Order: sequence, then structure tokens, then C-alpha cells
Amino acid sequence: MSATVEERPTPALTEPRKVAPAKDSRKLIRSQVRAGWLFLAPALLHSGIFIVIPVVAAIVLSFTDYSFGDSWSWIGFANYSELFQDVDFRAALANTLLYAVVVVPLSMAISLAVAIGLNQKIKAIGFFRTAFYLPTVTATVAIATIWLWIYNPGSGLANGFLSLFGFAPGRWLSDPSTALPSLMVVGIWQGLGTKIIIYLAALQGVSRDLMESASLDGANRWQRFVNVTWPALGPVQFFVLVTSIVGTFQVFDLVYVMTRGGPGTETHVLVLDIYQNAFQALRLGFASAETVIMMLVIAIFIGLGRLLQKADVND
Amino acid sequence: MTSATVPATSVQSAAKPEGIRIGRILLYVGLSIGAILMITPFLWMVLTAFKNDLEIMKFSWLPSELRWRNFVEAMQTAPFLRYFRNSLFIAVGETAFTLAVCTTAGYALAKLPIRGSKALLSYFILLLLVPFQIILVPLFLIVKSIPLFGGNNILGQGGIGWLNSWWGLIIPLGAAPLFTFLARQFYVSIPTELAQAARVDGLGEFGIFWRIMTPLVKPALITICVFQIEAAWNGFLWPLMITTSDSLRPLQLGLAIFAQNPAEVQWPYLMAGTTLATLPMIVMFVFAQKRFVEGMAHVGIKG
Repeated sequence: MSATVEERPTPALTEPRKVAPAKDSRKLIRSQVRAGWLFLAPALLHSGIFIVIPVVAAIVLSFTDYSFGDSWSWIGFANYSELFQDVDFRAALANTLLYAVVVVPLSMAISLAVAIGLNQKIKAIGFFRTAFYLPTVTATVAIATIWLWIYNPGSGLANGFLSLFGFAPGRWLSDPSTALPSLMVVGIWQGLGTKIIIYLAALQGVSRDLMESASLDGANRWQRFVNVTWPALGPVQFFVLVTSIVGTFQVFDLVYVMTRGGPGTETHVLVLDIYQNAFQALRLGFASAETVIMMLVIAIFIGLGRLLQKADVND
Repeated sequence: MTSATVPATSVQSAAKPEGIRIGRILLYVGLSIGAILMITPFLWMVLTAFKNDLEIMKFSWLPSELRWRNFVEAMQTAPFLRYFRNSLFIAVGETAFTLAVCTTAGYALAKLPIRGSKALLSYFILLLLVPFQIILVPLFLIVKSIPLFGGNNILGQGGIGWLNSWWGLIIPLGAAPLFTFLARQFYVSIPTELAQAARVDGLGEFGIFWRIMTPLVKPALITICVFQIEAAWNGFLWPLMITTSDSLRPLQLGLAIFAQNPAEVQWPYLMAGTTLATLPMIVMFVFAQKRFVEGMAHVGIKG
């Protein structure tokens, strides 16, 4: 933090000024504006260089065959048409969509339920808060490693647990039919913490007066939830929805450590495909086209979420 | 946020205490089952870290003895200490950078008379929605062509720029728009009169920001710190992309390399390493959790 921002020489604190005359106050405003822009400059510069330019660049690169070399050329929509023929990409897109469609609603519903539970006056709130947030503070790589071991067919916790009830052991991550669902479980489990905390914060902001008067009017628990709590959660729902959609589309570390996209392409996801095309096949243009598609899909999802929310409000 | 002082729906609890009590029990049972599901994998991790090679061949809960030396041996099989130091360095650097950039920006957006500050706020909120993965490839190129670093000329050509450097690990992912937004939400709720009074007393704009306003937003600073340390500590994809040497690699990459070949994984060592990597974040959260929740409250509520 640089101290150079202090443009105006500051009079010593010991001689407080009397009420500033009008001419002075305009100067005062001007110095505030100047300070404001100076304060903002680093953030604007940083976001411009490291977010805005990359977004624009991704779009531009997607129309080229750039691959780290010196020469490249415009190839129009060739990357895109190739993408839709690409088996790996199609598998990755399908898997990512499926992953998002299952994980987002389930994790939102579970977190809301837990948050409502935690919002009651209960003992040991700190313990519960920490317990549910534990997976979120832990690195995904660490999480993935633990679950890799849990899903271990020979001596893992998952099969150990099943055997208590006399079930046959599963092969979990190496079985094509259970690989993706196994990852979804971990994804949901890990993502609960943040959502619970956001919901909890929002629930504490739901007007007590409204709740009280609703219960005085004879509304039961469920009616109060539907008519008071649910509408009040509107903006937060949207925030959680957007961050969860973005989060599920970003799934990478989990897959990278646990399955590497296998068996076959059963758990091949978009970011893994982008990573492989960009940094192993070194086809940056092609990978950029993938990211543009991903951007569009996320935008569509968020748009759908918005529509759902609007429909919900109009009910 | 101020829930504690309000008696919870006293009207109802007087009316039907029996139903309430059963509901209460169910609530505790449900939450406890949930908490067990959350904690069990971590417990399993710690227990496995103490086992020997034979014990892990078949399923068991408790280790026959506590093999503390697994931790020591795990630290020796990979340069874990160096990974640890690297992660710490990245986390501290990124957090300091984020605090400096985001509190100033958030304060300016909240309290200084800038034309178009509403639009700028929308700009930051919009950026919040850009997933990191989308800008992965171009970001890599930009970092590679930072002028005058890593052998680059003034046009950013010819060298590797910030690749494989602390700069590249720390700066691009610091100062996320989320934190500017978060900081702004806190400064907004502080009365402007405080700043005015200080101004009349002749304090400069930076002094007002630094000495008057910022000390009042401690929960925001804690929330930003927790979030940013956590993100930096747990970062994986970005360091994987831009580092090629062990001397810069953070902890998570070290763990992943450990887990790479499922046939030869030495589970006790891996779990010992994972336990050590996880512990600092858990301890941090336990200490910060109350303030942290207060901090989160501001994100959602005031738009």
C-alpha cells in the first residue's frame, strides 16, 4: 500500500481547521475524487490485464490455429466445426452437463436444509459450522486423495462400510457405470460448506418481525417457510446458483487426481479436455474455442436460472 | 446477524412444547449425522496416516500403533518442507497483495464521490462471474509476455515473462473482484460522517482510509484473509501450468505427484502428507469462523 496517495499536504492535526469556506470545499471534493481514482487504479488495472483482456483474447484466439509457435493464421470457424466432430470434446461436454445438472440442485437443496437447521437456536453451533465447512477449507487435491483411498476397492472405507450390511464390494472409480456418480458424491460433499454459510448469513437477515407476525396470524412452519423465508432468500439463491454453476463447470482437480477422465472417457470433463488440448497437444486456438463454448453454456445455464427465479417470483 | 438476542418465536413454543421437543431432537440427530458424514473422511485420513504397510491391505479403523514416524518419513520421501514453504510464501504474498488492492478499491467505490461508481461496481460484479478456467489459456500467454521479465524485451517477446516465477504465482490470481465487492459492502455500512469529521480535522484522504475507516471493517479483512489464504493454499491448476521446477511448486502439486500412480501409492505416507497440508487451514477456520460468517453476511444481503 503506497503512501504516495496523499496528494494534499496535510496540516498538522494539532491545528484543526474551522468550518471550510465554499471555495475550499470544492477543492476538498476534487481531492476526494482524485484520491478515489488513485485508490481504484490498481484494481482496475489488475482486472483489465488479468481478466478482461484474457476473455477478449480467448474469443480472438478461437478463430486462429495458434500453437505457441511464431506463425499462425486465421481459420474462421474451423476450430468450432472440428470440435463438434471431436469425440473427446463431446464426451467431456456431456459429462460436464450431467455433472452440473445433478450436483447443482442437490447441493443447493441439502445446503439450504442444513442452513435452516443451523439457524435454529442450537447448542454447539461453532462445532457444526466447522464440521460442515471442513471439506471446503481443505484443498481439493487433499479431498480427492482421501476419497481415492475411500473408494479403494480392496481396503477402502466405502467397501468396508458396505460389507457391514453384507453388500458386495463395488469397484467405484474403475467401474464405468459408477465412476461419474462417485465423483458427484465427492463434489456435492465438498461444496456444501460455502453454500451453507451463505444461506445461513441470508437466513439471519430474514426479518424477525415478518416471521413473528406470520406466526401470530396462525401460519405454520411450512407456510412461514414458503411465504416469508423463501421469497426473502431470492437474491441469495441467485448468487448461490451462479457460483455453483460456475463451480461445477470448473471441476478439474477432483478428476485430475481421482480418475484422469477414465475409465475410457466416462469422467472426461471440459476443463480436463481444455487442459489437455492446450498444454499437452499445444493447440491453443482449439482449446480457446472450447473455452468460448464453455462460456456460452455457462451463460445459457445462468440465463435459465434467472428465468426459473422469475417464474418463481411470479407464482 | 443479530439473532442471538431475539427470543425465538416464543408464542409458539409456549403453545405446544411437546412437538417442539421432538422436532428439536430430530434436528440434533439430523445435524449430527450430517456432521459425522463431513468429518469421517478426515478422521479416516488421520488414522490411516498412522498405519503400517500391512494394515492398509484390508479395511480397518484403528491403527495397531501410532506410527508417528510415518510423518517424518513422508517428509523425507518428497521435498515436502520446501513445498510447504512455497505454499506459505504464495499464500502470504497473495493475501497482502489482495488486501492492498481490494480494500482501497472497495473503499473508493463505497465512500468517495467518483462519477460512475455504480457502473464500476457492476463491472466488478460482472467480473465475478468469469470462471478462471475460461481465461486459462490467454492468461498463460499474458503472463508469458509480461515485458522486461524472464528475458522478455519491452514488447514482451523472447523470454518466459512471469512463468516459473513468484510473480506469476502470486499476482495474476490475487485481488479477485469478489474481494473488492466484499470490501465495498463493508465500507458502505460505515457512517460517512466519520470521514467528514476527520476531513474537517485536516486528515488526508489516505489517512482517513487507513486510520479511520479501515480499522472499522475488521470482519471484512478477516473474511478476505481467510478466503484468500484458503484459495492460495489450495491452488492447483495454475501452479501446475506455470511452474516447471520443484523449487517453486506448492504443496498441492507435491501431493498430486504422490498420488499419481495408484498401483504404487504409499497410502500412509500420502495420508500423512495430506494431514499436514490440511491442518493449517482447519486451524485457521476454527479461529476465524465467527467473524467469517459475519463477513459472508454482507455479500448476499445488501446489493
